[in-house]
Amino acid sequence: MQIDAEKPDLPLDAPRNLGPFRLRVDPARAAAYARETGGDGSSVPLSYPALWLMEPALSAPVREICATLDAVPVHEAQSFAYETPLLSGESYDVRVLLRCEATPPRIVIDATISALDGATVARIETTLRLVPRAGLGAAP
Amino acid sequence: MSHAISVGDKLPEVVIGPFDCEALARYAEVSGDDNPLHLDDALAAKIGLAAPPVHGMKLLAAFEPMLAKWRKDLSLVGFSAKFIQPILRGETVRLSGRVLRASPDEIFIRLFAHGAARAPGIIGEATLRFLPSVSGTEAKAGAGRP
Repeated sequence: MQIDAEKPDLPLDAPRNLGPFRLRVDPARAAAYARETGGDGSSVPLSYPALWLMEPALSAPVREICATLDAVPVHEAQSFAYETPLLSGESYDVRVLLRCEATPPRIVIDATISALDGATVARIETTLRLVPRAGLGAAP
Repeated sequence: MSHAISVGDKLPEVVIGPFDCEALARYAEVSGDDNPLHLDDALAAKIGLAAPPVHGMKLLAAFEPMLAKWRKDLSLVGFSAKFIQPILRGETVRLSGRVLRASPDEIFIRLFAHGAARAPGIIGEATLRFLPSVSGTEAKAGAGRP
């Protein structure tokens, strides 16, 4: 997204490890998400873990940084790489490495999803560009 | 019987949307993504947008059914994307793709999502693998067309 805005001062803390969090593929939610994205709900969408990133334990640090900087997060990039598919109704352990970049200001969220036996299932990377509210200017 | 897959092959284009306020609110509720930028006209206007942008994940995830419908003998194992510019509420969205690389084991697809603007809103890449049941058949890349 092309946005010209003043750069916020980013807290350049060391990367933060979060988790592991035990999260489940909720069948009803997976089906609803699939339907909202054009699918038929017969399988778990590869992008389903994007919903886990909205869980309070995972989203709170992002909200905290945005609140501190008075910035709006804008989704800049996303990737999903799977070893094995997610199974509806199954639980997984999710570990997150959250880091900040200063130029341009970004939050990068690296998540690793593992089966309960420890086998890696998928890796996910989310990049959020931080756009300061104060630099947004007046409405056109 | 499936055609062989060659570099440059185009996937059938899929048109989705336009998405209205209710559709974006419903996606926000289902996904948990309550970023106000997607729901607040005033906030969108502040960054120079004529309307709130559609959630990038809603659009990116829409490639999954498109890819699944294209080839039943392939399984999507990964995809990535950059959200280049916003696609706004009310815009019709065209999803397209073409084969970027093809090997006997994996197919890489370049993905595009276009809204009203000429330039793409999303540029991505998907990785698909042949399902075991069809490995070794003429469906694989480079085996020629029937």
